[in-house]
Amino acid sequence: MASWPQPTKYISHVTTRVDGPPKATGRARYSSDIQADGWLYGMILRSKWPSAKISEINLDPALKIPGIKAAVKARDGEFTVRFYGEEIAAVAGTTKQGCLDALRAIEVRAEPRNEFVVNENEARKDGAPEVWAGTPNVTPGRPREHGDVDRAFGECTAVIEGFYTTAVQLHNSMETHGSTVSWTEEGITAWASTQGISSMRDGLAGALQLDQSQVRVITDFMGGGFGSKFGAGVESMLAARLSREAKAPVRLMLTRFDEALAVGNRPSSFQKIKMGAKADGTLHAFEAENYGTAGIGAGGDAGGGGGGANIPMPYLYPVPNFRVQQASVAVNAGSARAFRAPGNPPASFGMESAMDDLAVKLGMDPLEFRLKNDPNEVRQREYKIGAEKLGWKKKYRKPGSSSGVVKTGIGCAGAAWHGGGPSRDTHGEASINPDGSIEFRLGVQDIGTGTKTVIAVVAAEMLGLKPEQITVKVGDTNFPPGPASGGSRTCASVSPTVYDICQRALQQLQARTGISDARGQNWFAACKKLGVNPLVVHGDWIEGLSTRPAYGVQFAEVAVDTETGLVTVKKIVAVHDCGLMIDTLTLESQINGGVIMGMGYALYEERVMDDLSGVMLNPNFETYKLPGLADVPEIEVVLLNMPERGVIGIGEPATVPTAAAIGNAVANALGVRVGSLPITPAKVLAALGKVPPVATT
Amino acid sequence: MKAFAYATAHSTDSARELVADHGVYLAGGNDLLGLLKDYLIPGPDILVNVKSLPGLDKISRGEKSWSIGALVTIAEIERDPEIKKVFPGLHDAASEIASPQIRNVATVGGNLAQHSRCWYFRQRDVTCLKKGGNLCYAREGENRYHSLFTGNDCISPVVSSLGITLAALDAAAVVLRGGQETRMSMAELYSKAFTEPAAHNSLAPGDLILRVEIPTTRPRSAYLQVSDKHTFDWALVSCAAAADVAGGKLSQPRVALGSISPVPYEVAAANDFLDGKTLDDATVSKAADMILWGAKPLEHNAYKVPLAHALIRRTLLKLKG
Repeated sequence: MASWPQPTKYISHVTTRVDGPPKATGRARYSSDIQADGWLYGMILRSKWPSAKISEINLDPALKIPGIKAAVKARDGEFTVRFYGEEIAAVAGTTKQGCLDALRAIEVRAEPRNEFVVNENEARKDGAPEVWAGTPNVTPGRPREHGDVDRAFGECTAVIEGFYTTAVQLHNSMETHGSTVSWTEEGITAWASTQGISSMRDGLAGALQLDQSQVRVITDFMGGGFGSKFGAGVESMLAARLSREAKAPVRLMLTRFDEALAVGNRPSSFQKIKMGAKADGTLHAFEAENYGTAGIGAGGDAGGGGGGANIPMPYLYPVPNFRVQQASVAVNAGSARAFRAPGNPPASFGMESAMDDLAVKLGMDPLEFRLKNDPNEVRQREYKIGAEKLGWKKKYRKPGSSSGVVKTGIGCAGAAWHGGGPSRDTHGEASINPDGSIEFRLGVQDIGTGTKTVIAVVAAEMLGLKPEQITVKVGDTNFPPGPASGGSRTCASVSPTVYDICQRALQQLQARTGISDARGQNWFAACKKLGVNPLVVHGDWIEGLSTRPAYGVQFAEVAVDTETGLVTVKKIVAVHDCGLMIDTLTLESQINGGVIMGMGYALYEERVMDDLSGVMLNPNFETYKLPGLADVPEIEVVLLNMPERGVIGIGEPATVPTAAAIGNAVANALGVRVGSLPITPAKVLAALGKVPPVATT
Repeated sequence: MKAFAYATAHSTDSARELVADHGVYLAGGNDLLGLLKDYLIPGPDILVNVKSLPGLDKISRGEKSWSIGALVTIAEIERDPEIKKVFPGLHDAASEIASPQIRNVATVGGNLAQHSRCWYFRQRDVTCLKKGGNLCYAREGENRYHSLFTGNDCISPVVSSLGITLAALDAAAVVLRGGQETRMSMAELYSKAFTEPAAHNSLAPGDLILRVEIPTTRPRSAYLQVSDKHTFDWALVSCAAAADVAGGKLSQPRVALGSISPVPYEVAAANDFLDGKTLDDATVSKAADMILWGAKPLEHNAYKVPLAHALIRRTLLKLKG
């Protein structure tokens, strides 16, 4: 069985991103930087209505606008739109302003329906307008039950009941969705912002009725996706059709406005949780009812990676007696998509809030309560490390007992990500040139986390070279295929594959040149003996070098102004494991990103829909609020290196527990729970009982 | 956006002439760009660049009064060491506005004249009362950011941090109107917004803010705001206070609040009450009660009442120095 080398020079050390300089200088070309010959701008006309029958679309006035080369309908014939922002038509032209003018010129005959619903609490009610005619808005999940819940509650010493809610969160990748697509007689080339070049290729080919071999997808550089960029997407399909129509490449990248409406989100959750423990602090009974909305996406289990509203419950802690009932509620709003650890951040917020509330009721320190109930040995270690770093023992006070107007508090929460494992179907190749230069080609994509750097680090380690001597190419469907970048799998997929390529390269170099160990200082001499042609070596993912799952715990320290309600996060301690660490710098960076995203979920982010008009009110960064630098505290990342486990991904677990830890710290500061995310000043003041009642009209 | 003509004016007379009835002035352009891109205002036929108008980028420092030109940037106010000493509240207000990048180009005139930030007004596909529709969607809808006090059906609040602070400092805007310079108090500059839903201030088409004049009679001033976030976010509530303090007693105190009314919200009786008083917890609390008396919170903005109360108390206590 293969094993990772020890000791190491590059693996588990710090390597700066191999593509840092091109990214920092602007030389890196993202999909929106591609300037294919004669390219046009593409733009999409979206529904102004939350629900309407579109009976006729007249594109002719758009085609009369100077510079407009093509216009297409999103769908043929009559069709129904079910959310504000759904695609209706698209245009391509030589200028942005021309396209904008053309969108306004398109004549749409629509019959807006007054019966629509954008609020999940309204949509659940009897007689609510149906989002999908003839189908109930509420799709109940399969009830899950274990043990004798009703009897078990009677055996508990302490029982709490809580209502914990989380808002719809948007992905808001730094790079928006879209591509530059060129459709010629030979087929399609799409320079796409995608986290799955192969799934995108197959999606485009299927939808446009081309052979898969006629579609090439290229993703040289990418600015994030967080789960929202797996498929071909309506926008890229429209770009392709516009390109065919205009006989020119079309660049169709979404605006922030588009991005907020139609390309995915994390479903909301409304979790009614009842939980009980015995006198010694052992969890004994759990009951939860949860519902949330995935927009027009009508439900289904999302625990593993889909876009439904169900969440894994009870989360992390085994409870012998439990009953769980969940439901997904359709509303007239953009559909959910997989989003960084689908289901887990809301589950963590509900469960870990309930854990703290129950600990308080039992009179136990919430950290002790966790150590008592969490059977996971890795998290047990992580809790102890994190508690030490934060100074838990010294800082923990009874809830609400901190003095003064600005109260401080601490909290913690745990994570698990049971994905994170490798894709066995990962392949790659390397060309080794007689001059000693070497190029790796893998059909994966670097979503922005540092996949190219990971490949360079593993190759350098295996071949005794420096990372900067390794040329890495990814993001091209002409390369040997690999998995989509999702579920924290990429690192665990590519690392063993590169290992295999390198082992084979060394074997073949030995066979071809007679040099028994071509590594390090022998490298150039061995390569020189290759003669004229490069040595091309193929490799595949192999057993024994990667695994899953990953865990992690986070601690938060906050200060809450009890007169203004403002929450300030003072510090986050994030203790994480992912088996054998490849590059500690990109790893830390990914955890920082996960924490900041979790902070946004905890304190700022919320899609706001208007009941009366059915539109989204905050499709921008002005009122859809994201953490800024001034909001972000000191983040202390503590990494557990476990080489014996092999490589595991870290993308998802890093963002799972942050909101719960912050929520618990706020509850610890105040002595009352703010059970609803985001925790805004308005909600803090309300929880403190300071907000006067309002006479309803 | 709609096609428009563009001209640069080199005198106030020509600016006025160029803008006529269907044009708008362009200074920093931060607010204007958003309004144009989302078709939120009718027209305009012409954008008249006023950045070259002579003299409007000057700060003149008199003994009794300062004059700050309408083209002075927010960043200049923030960085001016003398303003920090003479009008500390103005300094603090400037430093909370938007982001450093925006402050570098945003102007005093633009900050005072900026349009509503109500998310219904800003929503391109909603025709609300302020845009000439017949309904204020916020009243029964998502009104967490809206007014506690208004004299009309629109509940969009004023958000100009400078306007709030200049109200507390009893400053006047000097406005070119029909070829004449007109002095308007901050109350006058915004009063129309209190009563007319379509208005966000009292300026008529073609009116041009030239400068603000600030009396130096209140050497103590302070400004505080609280937002959802720590920077680059609109105030949920903002508060400015200014006064002279002699022998521990306030004289000529003025308090103004932002984001709770279409105008900088001032209550004369509270100012009168504070006059001659010593700053202590009971006094500032009573003043806060007086200012917030009669607030009409809606479904989602009642939190602004305790928040405003806290900010009034804190801002006044800051005047102690």
